[in-house]
Amino acid sequence: MRFRTFLGFVAVAVTCALLGAAGAGAKATKADAGITVFAGSSMTTVLPAVDSDNTYSFGSTTSLGTQIINGAPADVLMGANATETALLYAQGKCEKPVVFTRNTLEVVVPKSNPAGIKSVYDLTKSGITVDEAASSVPVGSYTVQVLGQMGLNSAVQANVVSQETSDANVVAKVATGQVDAGFVYLSDYVIDPKDLTLIKVPAWAQPKIQYAMCVVTASPNQSAAQAWQAKVLSRASQAIFVKDGFLPITAPVPTLAAVSKSSGKPGTKITLTGSNFGTVTSVTFKGAAAKFKILSGAKITVTVPLKAKTGTITVTNPSGTATSSKSFTIKKA
Amino acid sequence: MDALITRAQLLSRSAKGGAALAVAGVALGQFVDAASADPLPTGDLAYARLLVGAELLASDFYTQAIAAANTSPAVTKYLKIAHSNEQEHYQSVAGILKGAGVTPAVSGDIDFTYPKGSFDSEKSILGLAQTLETTVLGTYLGAIGGIQTNSFKQGIAQIASSEAQHLSYFTSVMGGRAFSLAFPVALPIDQASNAMDAYTS
Repeated sequence: MRFRTFLGFVAVAVTCALLGAAGAGAKATKADAGITVFAGSSMTTVLPAVDSDNTYSFGSTTSLGTQIINGAPADVLMGANATETALLYAQGKCEKPVVFTRNTLEVVVPKSNPAGIKSVYDLTKSGITVDEAASSVPVGSYTVQVLGQMGLNSAVQANVVSQETSDANVVAKVATGQVDAGFVYLSDYVIDPKDLTLIKVPAWAQPKIQYAMCVVTASPNQSAAQAWQAKVLSRASQAIFVKDGFLPITAPVPTLAAVSKSSGKPGTKITLTGSNFGTVTSVTFKGAAAKFKILSGAKITVTVPLKAKTGTITVTNPSGTATSSKSFTIKKA
Repeated sequence: MDALITRAQLLSRSAKGGAALAVAGVALGQFVDAASADPLPTGDLAYARLLVGAELLASDFYTQAIAAANTSPAVTKYLKIAHSNEQEHYQSVAGILKGAGVTPAVSGDIDFTYPKGSFDSEKSILGLAQTLETTVLGTYLGAIGGIQTNSFKQGIAQIASSEAQHLSYFTSVMGGRAFSLAFPVALPIDQASNAMDAYTS
């Protein structure tokens, strides 16, 4: 059995045992230093790679959140969704949540793909066996969401033969050929693709899978917990997440608050003021691309292009586009 | 078939989304009227999501093609017209979702990716435009047959006609026949989805 799957089984087993015994759910992977982090089971591999000194408890995000509400001694909750940390924040159980990574939902089939599955639509065929996580855990909830968005929920659910408590269990059943297909995170596949074949869920049907973390209000290690959050958001840690199949944090959509001039000839330099300019990919004058220089996350200098025509200015980053509220007038050169 | 959205729910949701829908032109008006008339099958909502994805792909492609500035003024002019058309189409098909109280995907929700060198020359841009427009046209033609709400079909056919015009231009400027097929291929939803997914990362 592969290491990642094995860890997943251990985490779930230990969490369940502790839940039954004391409601704490802490699985000590290393208890001699660091803080205690409760985290969704899809992060079983990546978090120890970020920092092996913490004590990690991996399990269902929902269950871990419930444990914290009931007083479990966690310093940070790292959820496989943004809703559990938001719930704890609303109840005063943790500080303001921070999104730290993203994921996508995908389908995996055994490496040899004996059922010949080529797309999600094939999961509706008679005789196909499908495994999914229960809807009470984030990956199961996302599965229902995706199938609903594709209009396939009823047809695919008719082929579901088992519901698991975690994505790791789904991976294990698919990898060993017990089922024809299962719904897991992209990171589950990337970490160890040896026994699996990936079938992509269409981008147009993908849910927004954002992972959020928060410092537990009752934590006696507030500063260490906040330092951990900063470490997770650091470029080095984010690179580890990406290497393990997670997606980088989406840059916020830019906003365009002010333009230094309302008119100018081609070649004129103007300054744009706004926010989220750090990842800007293009600036246009009524569709004409302009040369620009990012001065800061809030300021860009732009040269009015030769082909510019009077119209609005747009600023685009990977997350979206901001458009000036007023038209920029092009004067004749 | 999955759960239906009732007429009352849809009317309520349409009213909430009304301001956003008002800008979207003739076809959208048809869509909103149709969406208000009957319960909406979830299969139709799935098609609307697919079409929204197709329009976001097309808009993203034209944005990058224009920004690459590797095309002649005449071709650039048509790229801009096509881009503008796709944005109007997006507003229309997104209106189906908004009317049903569903938030449509927006630019930035989907990370698109293209083959290396796609925007390096006018020829590569036109070639990809032709390929994408063939896919988008096939998607709309498939939707006409797949969508159950009859009153959506005229608007979708109008958009398909617009996409066919784009395809015809790009084909002819590439040296091909502006038109040839009496019956362009309609893609079933799974094939359309798979074809589009080749351009997502």
